Amino acid sequence: MKSLKRSAPKLKHNHQTSMRLPGGWQLPPFGVHQVLALVIVAVALWSVALIWLALQGGQQWVGSWQEQVKVHVYVDEKNQTSLEALQNRLSHIEGVQSLHLISDAEAQRWMEKWLGGSNLNAEGLSKHLPDSIEITLHEPRVATVLSEIQDVAERNYGMINEDELKLVEAGDVLGTVQSLAWFATLILALAMALIVSNTLRMILLARADEVYLMRLMGAKEWFVRLPFVLEGLALGAGAGFLAWFLLWPLLWFSSGWQDSLGIALSGWSMLLPLIIGGALVGGMGALIATANIVSPETES
Amino acid sequence: MIHMSNLMMRYQTGKVALSGLNMDIPQGSFVYLIGESGAGKSTLLKMMYGGLRPTSGQLKVQDTTIRGATEGQVRELRQRIGIIFQGNRLLASRTIFENVAMPLRVQGWDAVRLLPRVKKVLAFVGLEDRLWSYPETLSGGEQQRIAIARAMISNPPLILADEPTGNLDDDTARHVLDLLMSLNKLGTTVLMATHDLHLLTSHPGLVVQLHQGSLVTGKKA
Repeated sequence: MKSLKRSAPKLKHNHQTSMRLPGGWQLPPFGVHQVLALVIVAVALWSVALIWLALQGGQQWVGSWQEQVKVHVYVDEKNQTSLEALQNRLSHIEGVQSLHLISDAEAQRWMEKWLGGSNLNAEGLSKHLPDSIEITLHEPRVATVLSEIQDVAERNYGMINEDELKLVEAGDVLGTVQSLAWFATLILALAMALIVSNTLRMILLARADEVYLMRLMGAKEWFVRLPFVLEGLALGAGAGFLAWFLLWPLLWFSSGWQDSLGIALSGWSMLLPLIIGGALVGGMGALIATANIVSPETES
Repeated sequence: MIHMSNLMMRYQTGKVALSGLNMDIPQGSFVYLIGESGAGKSTLLKMMYGGLRPTSGQLKVQDTTIRGATEGQVRELRQRIGIIFQGNRLLASRTIFENVAMPLRVQGWDAVRLLPRVKKVLAFVGLEDRLWSYPETLSGGEQQRIAIARAMISNPPLILADEPTGNLDDDTARHVLDLLMSLNKLGTTVLMATHDLHLLTSHPGLVVQLHQGSLVTGKKA
């Protein structure tokens, strides 16, 4: 019984790398290919997260969290007679949505807020503030509206807040940067999907026998593909979590710099996007890899 | 169970593997498929589970017409067939339990029902103590008995065996054949391609001989 014409092939498999699950099932061995793919995808996701965090910081810095762009025009006390004419002309500029003359009470409230808990007299100080008109602009913004406001203000002895103009311009630049960030994200997502796809193709080759047997036993195609798709999803989500984890040292190291710029980058806001994004690119890679699983009917 | 009528198979290379086969195999038969290498034994077995489609003629297996069957019908048919290979084709990285339970997994059995069923079939082949072993730790004969356990676990009415004793010594081959005979006595139709003609004397059955793709004889051994 024990003597054989040909001894059984001696196959070397590292069973220790597999995880035993209840019921006797095992997760596929987590080999070097999966580890490499996990690290590469995590680094790519980390880069994407950095781009978006930088954008988040930039947006906080320019205050573009505001839904609508607002600019202020000031009029000196000596030119108050021209205030009404200025309001009238400003309201006729194309692209101006509304005007709001800031009252003394509002100015005082703003001054109190600005002074914080200091002992200075806000009421006294606010008396010295010039009259100001808050202008809300239409979105999307008319290209010439800012230069027209500036022109009208100058002709009517008013003065536009130059810092606000610079912030609006910076906001425009950030809009372009955001478009570039989306582009970079899409390119990196495609690259990540291809990396996952390549890894799964190698795993598929290693498990070609299993796929062949499952088909011989009458398995439906989704049954054959599902483990690989799940593996892709898990790999991507795991890489997303790793990328998120790797963000924290950078956030901690840059905390002083953030404070000096008056911004607060949120690492937690990146958790779900990274995990879900990672799972999506992993799933996409798995779909690419399993699009055509060849399993020859002919036996070797 | 199996009906063939003017069955012909020609490969794309132009080689005619089977030609004009007419045969009926009733339920509960034990059939030896013999013939020289290249006679068409493996081709015929592959056609029976839908791995190859006939070029012409008719092949009906368990009421499924292979030639015109849809992919879904072929999948359903395969779930009603147990297949044993010469090289046993056990998955080396999976435990015996996982190997044997695979057909039931494919059929969507609950995990809780798998273990008792696997234990039962392993007891039938005398290897119930190797549930958590890996195939490489078993001898060739034991591996082939595991392959039989895998083929019979879903209780299929038909078992196709492609030279299951090809790599085994005489004693082990006889033991494997004993198991197949036991399955046959339980009502399973067994169709076995073999070169080991001496087994026919100790384990009688219907002998179908092929020669260059044609049926030579069909007789009782």
